Amino acid sequence: MNGLLQGLGVTLKALTAPKVTTSYPDEPFLMPDRFRGIQNFIPDLCIVCNQCARICPTDCITLTGKPNPDPEKKGKVIDTFDINFEICILCDLCTEVCPTEAIVMTNHFELAVYSRDELYKDAEWLTDNNTLVRKDNNNIGAPAKGGAK
Amino acid sequence: MGAWLNEPLTWGSALILFLWSTVFLLIVLGFVTYAIYYERKVIGWMQLRIGPNRVGPFGLLQTVADIFKLLIKEDTIPRRADRLLFIIAPALAFIPSFTVLAVIPYTEKLYFADLNVGLLYYVALSGITTLAMVLGGWASNNKYALLGGMRSAAQMISYEVPLVISIVGVILLSGSLNLRDIVAAQGGGWFWSWNLFPQIIGFIVFYIAAVSELNRTPFDLPEAESELVAGYHVEYSGFRFAFFMLAEYVYVYAIAALTTVLFLGGWHAPAPFLDFVPGIIWFLLKFAFIVFSLFWIRATFPRVRVDQLMSLGWKVLLPVALLNVFLTALYLELFVK
Amino acid sequence: MIRTEELLLNVGPQHPSTHGVFRIVVKLDGEVITEATPVMGYLHRGTEKLAESLNFTQIIPYTDRMDYVSAMTNNYVLVHAVETMMGLEVPLRAEFLRLIVMELQRVASHLVWWGTYLLDIGAMSPFLYAFRDREIIINLFNELCGARLTYNYMRVGGVKWDAPPGWMDKVKDFIPYMEKKLEEYDKLVSGNEIFLARIKGVGQYDAATAIDHGLSGANLRCTGVRWDLRRDEPYSLYSRFEFDVPIGHNGDCYDRYLVRLEEIRQSLRILKQAVEQFPSDGETMGKVPRVIRPPVGETYVRIESPRGEIGCHIVSKGKAEPYRLKFRRPSFVNLQILPKLLVGETMTNLITILGGIDIVVGEVDC
Repeated sequence: MNGLLQGLGVTLKALTAPKVTTSYPDEPFLMPDRFRGIQNFIPDLCIVCNQCARICPTDCITLTGKPNPDPEKKGKVIDTFDINFEICILCDLCTEVCPTEAIVMTNHFELAVYSRDELYKDAEWLTDNNTLVRKDNNNIGAPAKGGAK
Repeated sequence: MGAWLNEPLTWGSALILFLWSTVFLLIVLGFVTYAIYYERKVIGWMQLRIGPNRVGPFGLLQTVADIFKLLIKEDTIPRRADRLLFIIAPALAFIPSFTVLAVIPYTEKLYFADLNVGLLYYVALSGITTLAMVLGGWASNNKYALLGGMRSAAQMISYEVPLVISIVGVILLSGSLNLRDIVAAQGGGWFWSWNLFPQIIGFIVFYIAAVSELNRTPFDLPEAESELVAGYHVEYSGFRFAFFMLAEYVYVYAIAALTTVLFLGGWHAPAPFLDFVPGIIWFLLKFAFIVFSLFWIRATFPRVRVDQLMSLGWKVLLPVALLNVFLTALYLELFVK
Repeated sequence: MIRTEELLLNVGPQHPSTHGVFRIVVKLDGEVITEATPVMGYLHRGTEKLAESLNFTQIIPYTDRMDYVSAMTNNYVLVHAVETMMGLEVPLRAEFLRLIVMELQRVASHLVWWGTYLLDIGAMSPFLYAFRDREIIINLFNELCGARLTYNYMRVGGVKWDAPPGWMDKVKDFIPYMEKKLEEYDKLVSGNEIFLARIKGVGQYDAATAIDHGLSGANLRCTGVRWDLRRDEPYSLYSRFEFDVPIGHNGDCYDRYLVRLEEIRQSLRILKQAVEQFPSDGETMGKVPRVIRPPVGETYVRIESPRGEIGCHIVSKGKAEPYRLKFRRPSFVNLQILPKLLVGETMTNLITILGGIDIVVGEVDC
């Protein structure tokens, strides 16, 4: 009997305790800086090294490059860059290996859409997704940060 | 109202009675709507949430929206179900729950039927709902529903017995089965003249048995979410499901009102100097407290196991209730006569 | 003529209490179970096969999704196996961070278990109380590695992120908070007579049976066997810390419940010491070759996950991808005793026993 009464006491106290829920859709839910949300892509930085597509565990990144339009410069520039968010697991590995931080994480996490086709994001969409970009990217694969790795 | 009932039925009086019962039905529906809101709010607060707050101001229209959703849903009847019984069961669950309300007095003047076997009428009719649950469970042709229906039958039968016997003490004290007389017998000033204190054993047995009759946590075995998915109403959808829910909440109303009448002195104030407050306010306060306690228990306790439920009913509550009858009779014989 | 027949009931795969998509086919005589056959595989994603075409860094996110309630320990078992094969040194600070997140994860995982177990038994509030406190840990992880459930935090040779400024203080504050909340849990549930009547003596087995079925974790310790890999085969830095291994005596659901609650307390005890000894600076990533190619051979490492012994067996042919990768998933192994326990029990006890074993279907089906 005592145990039952103690339990009732706990719930009664909780009746007036501060509530822990947030009014999420009304107030945006702010994630900490390191949060791994939908990627932001910066085409000007991309050197078409293909590392992100290779490291991706689910093969959700497809990219193609084209020769640099400026004949003075060597190398390629990005032509198309798509991420399929049907299978992207936001694991952060693509931003980790990117040597130029051309692909970075943002704090956006809302991916619900009415059609699966809309989940196929192209370079333009990903470039425009440039708010709440993660500041600290810690891309440990990048050669700039110590070659011992 | 009482005078109408004793006269021969004419078209005029029938119409008036019908209108009155419609008005009362609306009141009961209003109660059910806000009892659900109240329950969800109270349980929400106890679980560190804020409860419904989206539809209407403070979420007051949430239940209305829910019921509306149920009404516009497709009405599905399983192909292998027993169609007739499947359709009858929800109505059979609801009708007795509404008819038992007729005998409950709210104040000295406000009551519907002044039945001299009021208590017996209540207990007898409320038993019919069990039948609806068994029928609903069986007619669904679903194994979970069948298990839920069987549990419901076992539970209702074993708890009806202690429920009735626990009230016998009250009947002995007030010498009447009429609910108005029972309340009147509890008047006379202070709150210790309520049946609650002389009949404390009876009250506890009654309360436990009543929670069980209501199929509410910790005795919600017939619908046991985590075992039987939804128990007897697993196959019901739309407004048929709404009828089962409605019946359940109307019984909450009925049991809370009955507890108030039998044990908490009905419309009597707890102290003589508080008499200036109208009786209906006292009734509603006590009533609301009983309803709150049901929700409070639901927010706290886990579910009882089915075999433990049976042994609690037959091996604990029934002997205690019988003992209570014996003690009450002894007291009346030795001290009152 | 009255005829009785057995009722064949499918519990699951869609059922509120099978913790995901797990299915048990039970034969019922009334409400008494005469035969139970677990059917698994509804959440099988072929992690082990997929891993054969992925390099080791790419497998880490997949391990998150096995035991999604305790992703950190899964991360650890894989990187630990690779490090063992390659003989890599992990910097002290990284190892401390790993240990702290693993112990926080153990607390979070047991909280999920506690909440959902009470939900199975029929009480709703404890679930929300447990999730309130788990949310703090989840937020800590979110600040640390940017995800709330699938952390992908550990790397071969270290961890991905150093603790952000002020993070360790938050962990420090969490320990006394959680200790206080555990008292509240005890008040709310542990003394509740209805709850005790539900779980005492249910699903009982002895130590020999437990060992025969290969049980581990709380399912083994509840029978009185003091076996905890953190103590008996110390990995990581566990040998540096003082903690007890709680055991039960009767081997029933109640003992499993007590053992798990006590494990939360012991985890908090380890955390308290770990936060104090945490090195003030240092590397979080050791010296690791650019492409991780374990030498030819095979290795098996095992650690203590919240559910029991989780093992990782790697067969390497010297390539960047494993030739064969096998996880010993504690939920899967612990589940093997279920059919034996269920015979003769009622439907109600089925839920109590299944909940008491503490399975995560993602890990059962892998």
